[in-house]
Amino acid sequence: MKNSRKLALIASIVLLAVIGFAFMPAPKKITVKGSDTMVILAQKWAEIYMKSNPDVIVQVTGGGSGTGISALINGSTDICNSSRALKSSEMDKLKERYSSLGIEIPCAKDGITIFLSEKNPVSELTIKQLGDIFSGKTRNWKAVGGPDAEIKLYGRENSSGTYVFFQEKVVKGDYAPSCQTLPGTAAVVNAVSKDIYGIGYGGAAYATGVKHCKVKKDDKSQAYLATPETIAKGQYPITRYLYMYMRNRPTGDAKKYIDWILSADGQKVVTEVGYFPVK
Amino acid sequence: MKKFTQFMMIGGLVLPLLFLAMTLQAQMKVQNDLDTVKQKVSTLNDKVAGVEERLATAESDLAKLTKIKLSGYIQAQWVNYEASNVYPGNYFMVRRARIKFTYEPINGIVFVLQPDFQPGNITIKDAYARANDPWLKTFSLWVGKFNRPNYEVEFSSSSREVPERSRVIRAIYPDERAIGAKLEVTPPKFPLKFQLAVFNGNDGIATPDANGNLVVLQNIDYDNYKDLMARLTYDFKLGKWGGLTIGAHGYYGRIKANSLTALNSDYTYKSTLENLGKSVPKQWFGVEAQFYADVLGGLSIKGEYITGVNSIPGITTSASAVTSTNVIKKDTLWMTTTLTKTSNSTPAITKSFSGWYVYLTKNIGKRNQVAVRYDWYNPNTKLAADQIGTAKYDASKTTKDPNPVKTFAGNVATVTQTDNVYTSKLNSGTSDIPYGTWTFAYSYYFTDNIKFMIAYEMPMNKKVGTVGANGNGNVVSAYTVNGVTSAFDYSNVIKQNVLTVRMQVKF
Repeated sequence: MKNSRKLALIASIVLLAVIGFAFMPAPKKITVKGSDTMVILAQKWAEIYMKSNPDVIVQVTGGGSGTGISALINGSTDICNSSRALKSSEMDKLKERYSSLGIEIPCAKDGITIFLSEKNPVSELTIKQLGDIFSGKTRNWKAVGGPDAEIKLYGRENSSGTYVFFQEKVVKGDYAPSCQTLPGTAAVVNAVSKDIYGIGYGGAAYATGVKHCKVKKDDKSQAYLATPETIAKGQYPITRYLYMYMRNRPTGDAKKYIDWILSADGQKVVTEVGYFPVK
Repeated sequence: MKKFTQFMMIGGLVLPLLFLAMTLQAQMKVQNDLDTVKQKVSTLNDKVAGVEERLATAESDLAKLTKIKLSGYIQAQWVNYEASNVYPGNYFMVRRARIKFTYEPINGIVFVLQPDFQPGNITIKDAYARANDPWLKTFSLWVGKFNRPNYEVEFSSSSREVPERSRVIRAIYPDERAIGAKLEVTPPKFPLKFQLAVFNGNDGIATPDANGNLVVLQNIDYDNYKDLMARLTYDFKLGKWGGLTIGAHGYYGRIKANSLTALNSDYTYKSTLENLGKSVPKQWFGVEAQFYADVLGGLSIKGEYITGVNSIPGITTSASAVTSTNVIKKDTLWMTTTLTKTSNSTPAITKSFSGWYVYLTKNIGKRNQVAVRYDWYNPNTKLAADQIGTAKYDASKTTKDPNPVKTFAGNVATVTQTDNVYTSKLNSGTSDIPYGTWTFAYSYYFTDNIKFMIAYEMPMNKKVGTVGANGNGNVVSAYTVNGVTSAFDYSNVIKQNVLTVRMQVKF
């Protein structure tokens, strides 16, 4: 009798503990995955937001826009960062799985910057010249006013949104097989900074230790550097939006987080990191 | 002093020699060490070169492997049939077990092979090559066996909200896939899709062979007629309301009549065909719409309406038999030889049909999905409910030879005659009954790879036929289960609901 009372008491305590734990406020977690171009920006956003919202955990990982979109479709991330718009085949998958078209949130603007070695005398290129260089039609710097030396190409992996965007806008075909693919724009910048005859592309936020190449639409146009002014005015020819995608309209903590990103405070971070605000 | 001088001289000579010898020895040791280091570096270089070479080979092999993609899914389920003509009435089964091999040797050229490994029945679902245009990135050419261009046909069975496709789609596009070629136009900057395909036209359709047996031909056409199919869709973005896709598709084909008689949809005589190879039409048109909205999560309403004419080929068999009779009449032996030519024919029939379906799907969170579908299929719109079972065509007749050949030799008469027996008839019946079907389904995505589904399908036949004084209808279908013969009387709604509990694993 005494034992059974003890047992009942222990059981009650365990039950109360279980119920107590069940009702304990769980830390609110938002997972963000996708574009490597956006990873520094997304980490900065998360860092600042978590400081003022200590009960929220924002977990940011890269992997590329394609990887992020796959994660959004298979449900393993709440927010997908993408440096390109959703393809129709990806939207079809969202329709099939979630009966939804997905929610697209433009959160920053970026000019795809062309990186050259600081020792390279070339300082401006047309879109066509860039396309010819990255497709392998032009292989010597001499053809674009540089030294008589072979051009070394550095680019992104095909899971990257930057890779896709640059291919669609500039290369307009297949990349040259000699183009060395690197994991992230930082790696491209690093490679170009060590190679006098190297050329690479990537997000502006990563560009340190290299020379930015001016870009012009065609021979007759004026060449521009990717700056907030030229991007805002639509003068810099390789400009794109950076997006956040969600399966459905954001609610709760995710909504608060996205509202903050689109607020003046969130957009200030965009400028600090080296991208350009949407507002 | 002299000795000291001699000692010093010898010492002076020996010591430098000794120093020289030691230096030389040290130099030789350094040289030896250097040689050893050089040898080791050389060996290491060789090893690194070997590793690099192997790495390059491995990378090359790996690059080839990345061009091959594997995906697939298995659907295992337990089904329970309410209909009394199904025995066993419940069982476990593997509904689909598919592996899709996709090989893209160069950008834009894709080979796809997808077998279905159902126990006891391995079939090839997809086997096609696709070439995408590398310049405009707009056109793609498909050749082989692939889905017919239709919304519900192309919607993957692994993603569908309910276990099976609508009755109308299963009727006009049996087995979903067809062998042929397709041109697909998808402009990258324009939310439009156009598909134009040409098919053999008999895929999944049972057609009669020379003996009148119905067979489903594989990998060969039934006739020389080719069927054309086209589909056009356009996507609208409706801002905060979501998105809408509208589209239409058409089918223009013919099938060998295999009969000299063609009937109208109401079983009346339509025409006499010149030969068995003449054709009857398969032509229909459909409109579709899919609406997506975000109402506390994804919500979609999807529907399609299809109407047109579909033909069923006839069955024609012929046989000849010779009979002889000897009869003595008034001292004369009459020897009669009769050649009887029998021709059995089921006329070809062209039926007007219509069908439609509507899905309402709601996703709750990222794991739950509920769906309701209603679909309607009327396989013969030209027959009213009370005409089914009554409408029939019968042109059977027997003709005796009007001029038999008679020869006489003494008191022996020889008679040779040819008689013709024609049977040509077709009755309306169960194949003309309209059906409306409610389907309710709930799916739970345990992970993105594992899905559980419970679905209840309620097919309801339209009450058809005429009811006699005894209270029974004239459209019946007999069946025997466990030695007991019964019949469905379609003047009532037959109980034939189906419960499906399914688990799907996708990779």
